Parts: sequence; structure tokens; C-alpha cells
Amino acid sequence: MRCSIYVAFTGLLVLACGCKVKHPGSAETRIVTGIKHRITVGGKSMKNPVTFTPEHLADGKEAFGHYCTACHGLDGQNTGVPFAENMSPPLPSLASPDVQSYSDGQLKWVIDNGVAPSGMPASSGTLSNDEIWSIVLYLRHLPPAGSLGEPEFYSH
Amino acid sequence: MKTKLAILWHVAISLTLLGGAITHADAQSPQRIEITAKRFNFTPGEITLKKGVPVVLVLTSADVDHGLKFKELNVVVNAKKGKTNEVTFTPNKVGTFIGQCSVFCGSGHGSMKLTLHVTE
Repeated sequence: MRCSIYVAFTGLLVLACGCKVKHPGSAETRIVTGIKHRITVGGKSMKNPVTFTPEHLADGKEAFGHYCTACHGLDGQNTGVPFAENMSPPLPSLASPDVQSYSDGQLKWVIDNGVAPSGMPASSGTLSNDEIWSIVLYLRHLPPAGSLGEPEFYSH
Repeated sequence: MKTKLAILWHVAISLTLLGGAITHADAQSPQRIEITAKRFNFTPGEITLKKGVPVVLVLTSADVDHGLKFKELNVVVNAKKGKTNEVTFTPNKVGTFIGQCSVFCGSGHGSMKLTLHVTE
């Protein structure tokens, strides 16, 4: 009995809300962005222990290249990512003011813990702390959009 | 007779010196530590070395490409899928250092660690 009530309730909810991917409206985007920046994304005061050197930047680019490019492109600006605009929310450019206005610690927190609801996975354990901090460094020094081409696996 | 004794004496001295040289060479060869990397562990997971004593880390990959990096000691060795590679170094700091897999190898890559203790 309980099970059928649950199934009926879920069915009604799906019918009411739908499960198609839709772009969020501007009000929804503003509210969610504000909540993330001010409340839900932690780590605001953490400092990046990986200082800027060409070697550390290369480490960050390499770690980003292993794991992040499938969604964010080689340049962190979605170049060549075919589904970037078809997600809800759409994939942000990591060079955008919305992303760049997070503190280093918040960017680390996002990579560690992921963001729900979105496609951003939690990467703690998949990447080491050093790798994640070096990625944060890379995010602060992204190359010009399109300058690195597109991920090879989308060209085949 | 005297000649024979002299030859025997020389042979004995030469063998003694040669044996000593071989023993000396063995004593000078750095210790070799065999490490196997397999998603997502190193075996052994913990090693202890002496400061100032050279050592060879021999890394074998049992599956995909792996690497081992001790950032604070500036030591890195990579092993291709199923291959062995080695690095010789002399620990110059006392302490406990965490080595990480330095070649992305999958979902547990970030937690693939080896603990190195360096003692006086």
C-alpha cells in the first residue's frame, strides 16, 4: 500500500515538474548563484598552498587535462564540448565572473565535493589534494578561449 | 720450490684482495626497494629509509600506467602498464613523507599513497 502511494506520488511529481532538461530562468539562476556563493559552497577562507610557478601551472593544466576536460574543454571554457549548453544548469565557462568570483578555497571545495543539483561530480579521492590545488591555480590562469583546440575524443 | 711458494703466495694475496673488492662493491650498492603499483594501492604501503643512505626505488606497474612522487623530496618515478622503472636517490630530510600516484589511473587515483619514513 505504502509503496503504491509512493509510486503514485512520484508519478504526479514527475508529471507536474517534468524531467526534460530546460534552461533555468534568470531569477532561478540569480537565486541559486547567490545561495551557492554565500551559503552552500564552503571553504571560503582556505588558501591555496600551491604557489604560482610555471611548473605548478603545468601540473594544474595536466591534472585538469586528465579529468576535467570531458566537460569543461581543454581551456576550461567548454570549447568543443558538445553538450555544454544542453545541461541544466548549462556548463559555466570557468573563466566567467560567476566562477572566478569564488575564492580559491571555494573552488577547491567545489572540486572536492561537487555541486548538486548539477553534473559536477565530487572528486576528493579521485584526485589528490595537491592535484586539486594545482587545478585551482590553473583556473586562475586559463588560456584564451579556443586556444588549445577541443578534446581529442570529441574529434573522432 | 721457492718459486712455487711465491706463486701460491701471490695467488692467495690476489684472491684475498679480489674478494675484499667484491665485498666492498656489494656494501656500496644502494639498497633496492621493490614496490608494486596496482589500482589503487602501492605494495608495500609503508617503507622506512635512513637519511643520507642512497636507495633505489624499483616501481612495477601490475595493471595500468602509474607513478610515484614524493614532492617534498623531489623524487618521481613512472612505470608504464606492466613495466618496471627505477629511481635512485638519497633521502636528505628526516620525517614522514606521503608519496602519491603521479599518473592519473582512475577513480581511486587521488587516494593511492605510499608512506615513507626517513630516520637518522
